[in-house]
Amino acid sequence: MAPAIEIKELTKDFPLGLGKYKLRAVDHLSLRVEQNQVFGLLGPNGSGKSTTMKVILGLLTPTAGECRVYGLPSNKTAARKEVGFLPEAPYFYKYLSGLEMVVLMGKICGLSAARARERAWEVIEWVGLKDAARRRVGTYSKGMLQRIGIAQALVHDPQLIILDEPTAGVDPVGSAEISSLVLKLKEAGKTILLCSHLLAQVEDICDHVAIMNKGRCIRQGPLAEITEGQGDTEIRLDQLPEPEVEALRRWLGERGIDLRQVKRPQLRLDEVFLREIGKADLIYRQGSESVQLGSQVTSDKAGKDSENE
Amino acid sequence: MNSLRIIRLIAGNTFLEAVRQKLFLFLVFIAAAFIVSSFYFRDLDFGFSELKFISDFGFGAIVFFGSILSIAGAAQLFFNEIENRTALTILAKPVRRIEFILGKFTGVWAVVLAFTAMMTLLLMAILWYREGILMGMERFARDFPEGRKVLYGDILWVGFLQWLKFGILISITMIVAGFARTNLFTVVISFFILIICHLQYLARDAWAEIAFWPARMGVAVMGFAFPNFQVFNVGEYVALYEPLPWSVIGSLVGLSAIYIIVYNLLAVVSFRSREI
Amino acid sequence: MNPFWKSLALVLVAAFLVGLLARPVEEPAWQWVREQEPALQLESLEDLLGQGIIVGVMGGFRSIFANLLWIRGSEYWKEQDLPGMQTMIRLVTAIDPRPSFFWMNGARITSLDMPHWRIREQGGRQNVPEVVQERIFEEQNLAGIEILHRAMVYHPNNPQYPLEIGLIKARRMDDLEGALKYYRKASEMPNAPAYAARVYAQLLRRLGRDQEAYEWLAGIYPTLDPDNIYDRAEVMLRRIRELEEDLNIPPEERIPELARDSARK
Ligand SMILES: Nc1ncnc2c1ncn2[C@@H]1O[C@H](COP(=O)(O)OP(=O)(O)O)[C@@H](O)[C@H]1O
Ligand SMILES: [Mg+2]
Repeated sequence: MAPAIEIKELTKDFPLGLGKYKLRAVDHLSLRVEQNQVFGLLGPNGSGKSTTMKVILGLLTPTAGECRVYGLPSNKTAARKEVGFLPEAPYFYKYLSGLEMVVLMGKICGLSAARARERAWEVIEWVGLKDAARRRVGTYSKGMLQRIGIAQALVHDPQLIILDEPTAGVDPVGSAEISSLVLKLKEAGKTILLCSHLLAQVEDICDHVAIMNKGRCIRQGPLAEITEGQGDTEIRLDQLPEPEVEALRRWLGERGIDLRQVKRPQLRLDEVFLREIGKADLIYRQGSESVQLGSQVTSDKAGKDSENE
Repeated sequence: MNSLRIIRLIAGNTFLEAVRQKLFLFLVFIAAAFIVSSFYFRDLDFGFSELKFISDFGFGAIVFFGSILSIAGAAQLFFNEIENRTALTILAKPVRRIEFILGKFTGVWAVVLAFTAMMTLLLMAILWYREGILMGMERFARDFPEGRKVLYGDILWVGFLQWLKFGILISITMIVAGFARTNLFTVVISFFILIICHLQYLARDAWAEIAFWPARMGVAVMGFAFPNFQVFNVGEYVALYEPLPWSVIGSLVGLSAIYIIVYNLLAVVSFRSREI
Repeated sequence: MNPFWKSLALVLVAAFLVGLLARPVEEPAWQWVREQEPALQLESLEDLLGQGIIVGVMGGFRSIFANLLWIRGSEYWKEQDLPGMQTMIRLVTAIDPRPSFFWMNGARITSLDMPHWRIREQGGRQNVPEVVQERIFEEQNLAGIEILHRAMVYHPNNPQYPLEIGLIKARRMDDLEGALKYYRKASEMPNAPAYAARVYAQLLRRLGRDQEAYEWLAGIYPTLDPDNIYDRAEVMLRRIRELEEDLNIPPEERIPELARDSARK
């Protein structure tokens, strides 16, 4: 099975002005996204995430290196057949309604008019914009724009979905909803490549990450491996009264183990917020009961070579 | 087949965008006002020559405002896609750059067709109306010994030929837009090229007479590298004086076809070099 | 090389090549357009206008320029502004020498209206001496003829202009010999109106050259089409009969009447 995306030694330079000075946006990047992975491309602003995505989509030609999508070179139009893309800060045609826009994109992807309409309703409902479908895109809020953007990326039912900063500028509810959409896509067997500078947020949904800085990949691998603490173990128990804590400490001390920290687990502020507004079901955390991500994480180590650069 | 469908979809969307914009409606309105204002010539009591004045004004308005619409429309509709990043969304689909460019071109050209057709029909209607009135006036009756004199079929042809010329102008603007960074720059350069295209016939006549060889080379290159727009200037002669010969129509249609096809391909080349 | 420059170079080379390729396709249309285009009188234009307008003139809007100037000119006409009107006539016919409307009206205003403007300016019909008035009319007639002469350079096959000159000479300058020349010229043009030949004959008669007039008409009459109302064959026949009477031509030698289509059937 070909990997969904395979990038080898990708370098992309942008000319500065018309002279020969160049800006290196991506620097010898290699990575591999297996099918049905949720792959997070992380890094600060300007680290080359969007540029990498544009190369994958054939929007930019690499200066050096190669990039394949399902085994096809990314500059081939056919390589984009199974790809859906949500651009960074999407605008879309303001003068179209959300529905018209998604239908248009569906037709452009080769769906018949009837099928495009049918699919457009499906995906619009799926992203939760049914009520706003007939409004002009120009009147949409930021979160709605992201969601209609996801809808247009999904309209032709692609296998690979590329999301550039899907949660940027979106409120906690919106971004939690987007996270939940991503996980549903994974359940449906899709491959997702998403990028974000909001590292914490992405942590909850990705099963594989690459961290970029100044165009280079500084770390990459399964999320669990990357975030694993240095030899500590965390145990969660039902509420433990103070004397019992002391007893435990002693018991551990006898075995030469140091109990370093005891605390009441705290909720993250976004979780509190979601609970307060009655949307607790949107809270997904790595290893929580509602979604078992951990069990599916592949132990793929390919693409790690770029770490040594 | 699939390509044609994509081109049609992009063109349709471009057309929709254009007609929902103020520029198009503004130009339609102002050009129509210009043409209708030629009713003023009625007061000057020129007889048959009034019809010539009306037709000159009508074609002048079509050429002038049509050129503005072609250049500003093509530049704006192109840069809207770039600046709103909708080009990214479209090109991330299985869409080739050539399909995108041809779709944009077709859309803008269709907008200009709507403009040219409306204005030509308006001009014909006014001519028809005034000609009828003049024929009924005793002191001008001798200007119309054999009934109506205006060659309405030819007016339609001239309108059509102007539209072909606008097609060339749109493709030129698309080439410039592919290279340019801003809308304004595109518009300025394209208008500059438009002026050169109207004057290039001077260069092609003059180059052989220039003694200084580098200057001669330069002028010769000018004469060949830009299309001759003066040759489309048939509206001034036909309709009232001379029927438009088929050989001229055929020649202009062929000429436009060559330029439009080649220039669109060049627009693809220039767009390819663009990092979006 | 930067792909930008590479593409730009490719586009320029290709534009040049397509220009070469398109040249033969363009040729028929270009030839026709040039035939319709009497040479622009750049020198006289430059005398009157700045370089800027010339560019505008070339830009394909010159009929509009000419029309607008003519409309401005009709203001001068109402105001009886002699220098203004003179300039306008020169300017308009220089910018757009194609419409005969400008030439004919320019000539008529010059020879018919302007003398009255000049006389009025110098004190009116009562106060200006007869000789001076005569001279003014003479000058304006010549100026009008001058305009028509220029028109003939641009429209060598349009009989309107020689006819107009003939009219001025015959009616207003009493120069029948001179008028004769122009009526003849007009009547020999391919699309001359039938009356040109008849007026030529009338002038010959007024000069007492009846025989010549008869021969002229006798030569033309058989070429007419009796079924074409514009040829007015019957009017010419009447003139011929009058001349035959005057010249005492015996009946058997007289010109036979042309048979009409309807009669032939
Ligand atoms: N079209 C472009 N021309 C020149 N520089 C660009 C272009 N696109 C991106 N860059 C530069 O490349 C670098 C990486 O940009 P980008 O990939 O957008 O970063 P990220 O998405 O990680 O924030 C930035 O320094 C940016 O300014
Ligand atoms: Mg980015």
